[in-house]
Amino acid sequence: MSFTHLHVSTAFSAHYGVSWPEELAQSAAADGATALACTDRDGLYGTIKHLKACMAAGIDPIVGVDLAVFDDDGDHRTQVAGRVVVLARGHNNGAGYRALCRLISDAHARTSGKSGGAVPVAVTRAELASRTLDPHTLKPVLTVLLGPDSDVGLAMGGRRYLRPRTLFKQWLDVMPGGTVVAEIVSQLSPPGSPLSTSHAVRMLRLAEEHHIPAILTNAVRYCAADGAPTADVLDSARTLKSLPELAREPLLQPTGQGWLKTSAQMLQLGKEIISAAGFGAADLKQLMTQTEALADLCRIDPTTDMGWKQPVVPEASVIGINQDPHDELVQRCHAGIGRRFPGLSGAGERAMLTRLEHELGIIRNLGFSSYFLTVAEVSRMIQEMGVRAAARGSGASSLVNYLIDVSQVNPLQHDLIFERFLSQDRATLPDIDIDVESAERHNVYRRIFERFGSERVTLMSMQNGYRARGAVRDAGMALGMDDGEVGEIAKQLWRFSAGKFREALQEKPELREFAGRVERRDAAGNQQLDLLVDLTERLDRLPRHISMHPCGVILGDATLLDRTPVQPSGLGLPMSQFDKHDMDPMGMLKLDVLGVRMQSAMAFAVREIIRIHPSKEDVVAAGNHSPGQDGSGPDYIADNGHIDLNAVPLDDEATFELIRSTHTLGCFQIESPGQRELIGKMAPREFNDLIIDISLFRPGPMKSDMVRPFLEHRHGFAPEVYPHPLLKPVLQETHGVTVFHEQILRTFDVMTGCGLAKADEFRRALSSEDGESQVEEYFRKHAKAKGFSPDVIDKVWETLKSFASFGFCKAHGAAFAVPTYQSAWLKAHHPEAFLAGLWEHDPGMYPKRLLVAEARRLGIPILPLDINLSKAEYRVERVRSGQDAGKLGIRLSLNGIYGLSATELKRIVAGQPYDSLADLRARSRISKPSIKRLAQLGAFDSLHREAGGTANRADLVHHLQKLQATSSSKKGVEVLEGQLSLPLGDVELRNVSPGLPAPTLVDNVRAELDLMAVDVSSHLMDSHRPMLDRLGVITADKLLGLRNGTEVLVAGVRVATQTPPMRGGRRVVFISIDDGTGCIDSVFFHEAQENAGMLLFGTRLLLIRGTTRRTGPRGISLSASMAWDLSRTETLPFPDPSTPGQDVPHPLDGISRSLAITGFNG
Amino acid sequence: MGMFSESVDVACAPDGQPVSLTWSGRSYAVCAESVRWYERRQWWDEVSRAPLGSGQGVVDHEIWRVQVLPVDGRERNGREQDEPLTLDLTRHIGSGRWRLLRIHDGLRPTTA
Repeated sequence: MSFTHLHVSTAFSAHYGVSWPEELAQSAAADGATALACTDRDGLYGTIKHLKACMAAGIDPIVGVDLAVFDDDGDHRTQVAGRVVVLARGHNNGAGYRALCRLISDAHARTSGKSGGAVPVAVTRAELASRTLDPHTLKPVLTVLLGPDSDVGLAMGGRRYLRPRTLFKQWLDVMPGGTVVAEIVSQLSPPGSPLSTSHAVRMLRLAEEHHIPAILTNAVRYCAADGAPTADVLDSARTLKSLPELAREPLLQPTGQGWLKTSAQMLQLGKEIISAAGFGAADLKQLMTQTEALADLCRIDPTTDMGWKQPVVPEASVIGINQDPHDELVQRCHAGIGRRFPGLSGAGERAMLTRLEHELGIIRNLGFSSYFLTVAEVSRMIQEMGVRAAARGSGASSLVNYLIDVSQVNPLQHDLIFERFLSQDRATLPDIDIDVESAERHNVYRRIFERFGSERVTLMSMQNGYRARGAVRDAGMALGMDDGEVGEIAKQLWRFSAGKFREALQEKPELREFAGRVERRDAAGNQQLDLLVDLTERLDRLPRHISMHPCGVILGDATLLDRTPVQPSGLGLPMSQFDKHDMDPMGMLKLDVLGVRMQSAMAFAVREIIRIHPSKEDVVAAGNHSPGQDGSGPDYIADNGHIDLNAVPLDDEATFELIRSTHTLGCFQIESPGQRELIGKMAPREFNDLIIDISLFRPGPMKSDMVRPFLEHRHGFAPEVYPHPLLKPVLQETHGVTVFHEQILRTFDVMTGCGLAKADEFRRALSSEDGESQVEEYFRKHAKAKGFSPDVIDKVWETLKSFASFGFCKAHGAAFAVPTYQSAWLKAHHPEAFLAGLWEHDPGMYPKRLLVAEARRLGIPILPLDINLSKAEYRVERVRSGQDAGKLGIRLSLNGIYGLSATELKRIVAGQPYDSLADLRARSRISKPSIKRLAQLGAFDSLHREAGGTANRADLVHHLQKLQATSSSKKGVEVLEGQLSLPLGDVELRNVSPGLPAPTLVDNVRAELDLMAVDVSSHLMDSHRPMLDRLGVITADKLLGLRNGTEVLVAGVRVATQTPPMRGGRRVVFISIDDGTGCIDSVFFHEAQENAGMLLFGTRLLLIRGTTRRTGPRGISLSASMAWDLSRTETLPFPDPSTPGQDVPHPLDGISRSLAITGFNG
Repeated sequence: MGMFSESVDVACAPDGQPVSLTWSGRSYAVCAESVRWYERRQWWDEVSRAPLGSGQGVVDHEIWRVQVLPVDGRERNGREQDEPLTLDLTRHIGSGRWRLLRIHDGLRPTTA
């Protein structure tokens, strides 16, 4: 007889389980089991993967949970008595599964959703009891397993001999009949200790005494004995204690026996327990039979119990429809034609209507009309909120989406294929993604909950697994290593999986030093580093915790919360325990509402433009826009100056000129070093070029060298080649190179006549080896039948095979290209407002300080912090005096100053303007440290000047420092209620006694970097200039004038570090530095990485030697050969060694905010 | 109770239970049902490697408590042996070799 494991934690029991559902199901099936349970801790995190794994292994799934139960006698809110396993009974049309979902949601309902909350995840026994019976039939639908972790089991180790029996009886009193079994577990620990055979025997006797069925489990945490050390490390990570500490408590698992033992091993274990209890063969048989009987009761039918793969959408009535949903959809599409295609007629109209018929037919057959209406409803709701929104992804391939205003891309214009989005052969709910302003995302979520009702909506979650850095930190903590030492090692781990740590030690130059220490372990007598590597590898990818997915919202009908357990998210809204991989199996409709910072930045810029230029005339003049037909300016600018970005024509020459200049910092999708190089080479002339550019700049095309032939053909250096004349129409727009998924679909269709739906199936199948060989057979046979020559077939097949898996969906590219174009348009016409928006919402990949440098390069004045002029956000401001008078500048924001609280910020802004420090203290009540910081940043300089004092900024800071030290009050100086500060000018400021030397520029810049992470007064490299001159360093702005292949030295502060995938699999490291005149992109190939070693990822200020590489008419980059740390002057290659470098004070000295300043946490 | 790490030859029945053993050149027969359990190791101090796939036996080791009588009926000191001797044995997971861990002598464990 086979044995069924009823208590099994998968890896999705975060920081507890070790093995993946697939391994467990396969092992169980291989041993002849016919069913297997998944009972993760606190939730159904691994359940859907378990279902899938069981179905693949041909065994029945059993689902349950391992849950804490509050102590009835203790403090209900925080004290837990123990843990029990709860199994759902199956084959009852989901009654068991529903009860399980609701029970788990109960357990989470009181928690805060934030880590470290005071309330644990647990249920009261009363809740548990009430959920075990189906509310309609009153039949038991859940079974509770009282095992070694229950209060009963835990009491066995205590001194009070009768305590376990008392507790056991309490359970039997509370729980409905037939819902409790005793779980017998022995992990063969020393007699008398937890999980020992002797404890198992006592539990067995209790069950017998009270006529309660006993069942055998192994409380499994890992698939095989090999997993035991990993479980120890996870225990350490969960409890935040080292293994030696845990061993002393003792809190570690008592033995390493908690694996998925075979049926034979479990029978042997049963024998040992029965014999130790003094029972006989009949009792052994009963124990094993009862276990299997419970297993049979709990076998789950994925379809009838859990609704496997049955799509559920909100009820029609909820979205305000009272007729057949499909009729409604047809009507709305036709209503959209006049708006989207004004004046269309003739062949164009016929083609459009044919396409519409085609799409609607497929949607009707799949029964997805309600789905489209639901998405349209959400989309309409967002637009009504006045929030910028844009559909992204393959949804842009649908004419229906365009007509019902879900998407802004006309699929006919860009030749997008509906079948890439949805087809007859693909019966899963398609993805429609909506990008909204990031600052409005949470409001949009809340609105969706309100609109559809909280019983129909929940946020989706995501699993966060161990990556190299987290894994090495937790492995190091388990071993009790020094935090600092582990931190140093973690710093050097850069973008590789933890599972390849040992391999990386051999290959990566930045790990060379560490690898050496591992090698020398014998000499040092320290084995820990070697063990550290092994344990780090063991943690690879294991889930650490779930969090709110950045965009997924699940919409369902009124039964949604019967189908997924929910728990509070950090946002306060409920979050499903299921992740994106669980959506399709569970038939859940997921909408991606993604917060895009660029959308917020652009919305901000548009608002700033109106504020500064409150009429159409002003905007047209300021943005240098075309006068339009009637001379008053273009239609997309309203009379009040509002710009409708979505209506801006996609052919603005100034915009393309800006893109071609490669000065695209801040622009969506095209600001990275690699993209700036690509647009420099490609020189986009029209919107379609942007679509191609975005699609080319993907790992696949870069890796497989699609870019070079494309550029050669585009610029006419090499003739375009088509494998067959019939394919020319398909590949022409990309000069014969296959870039888009759409082209792959059409190629299949042209050569085999398979139809586009089938073609998309083929494209998907190509990602697996099995699928590939089937597709190849079909392709060769049918292409031959259509008369294509073997040569052509071979050639095209090679392309399809290698490109299909990573080509890019053109609909994605088109949807991305819209905000790319819009952001470049804003930068070309309204750079001040655009930069203010970027600073405010920080959408890009670079640290904010690089955009400050960009403003400097563009000649846009950066206006200093000012207590009366700075607001809670960045603002565009007309400069009134000085050399920049008349220009538009950007005033720094009070937001984001280190240590200044949100409340202080609010009060400062509410009280503006202030006429003195006393006035500021009295009305804004800000803390003394905050006043001092504002003084350091120069926020009082203008007040000070008005007061006519003779002291400088240093004197003022000193004065404030003294005040801070002499008074203990945290808030400002006490002011009596009703007392008004007299408008006498600032006596205090006037009387600050002068004496200290004024702060140097370096001091000021250091304060700015320290408190705001930006260098405003001058560029942080400026103080290095004399030394750089002696080194013979050249600046970014001069680079373009050099010939290709010139050897140069450059220097700057790191702003970007990237290791994109490359052809041949060899790592290439891109490091971009900023020297104050611009950005220099350098590339480190293998040898240069060897030379640079630890400097690659470990330093902020770099001196780089390299040769120039021309990348296009306007683009130049550097192929690096060597790098130095600029802050270590003694190592630098001065041409005249007799005058070595002197250490000069530098703004970065003593500043540790690396991430905010260099964009890199090295 | 004495802590030992002497090598012992143990013969087992097909179900894995020890039947007889040879220790310091003398033969003993197991005279009562043996008890088995596992004990933890401070493996983070004891092993230098724990790569994936080698984890079995890293965390714990198997202990057998056996009661034995000498086959020739005589104890080491020549006295007649009527009371069985209780021994804790451990089996190394990789080599299958047995070692003697502890001797329990009647009520009072002694150090041999």
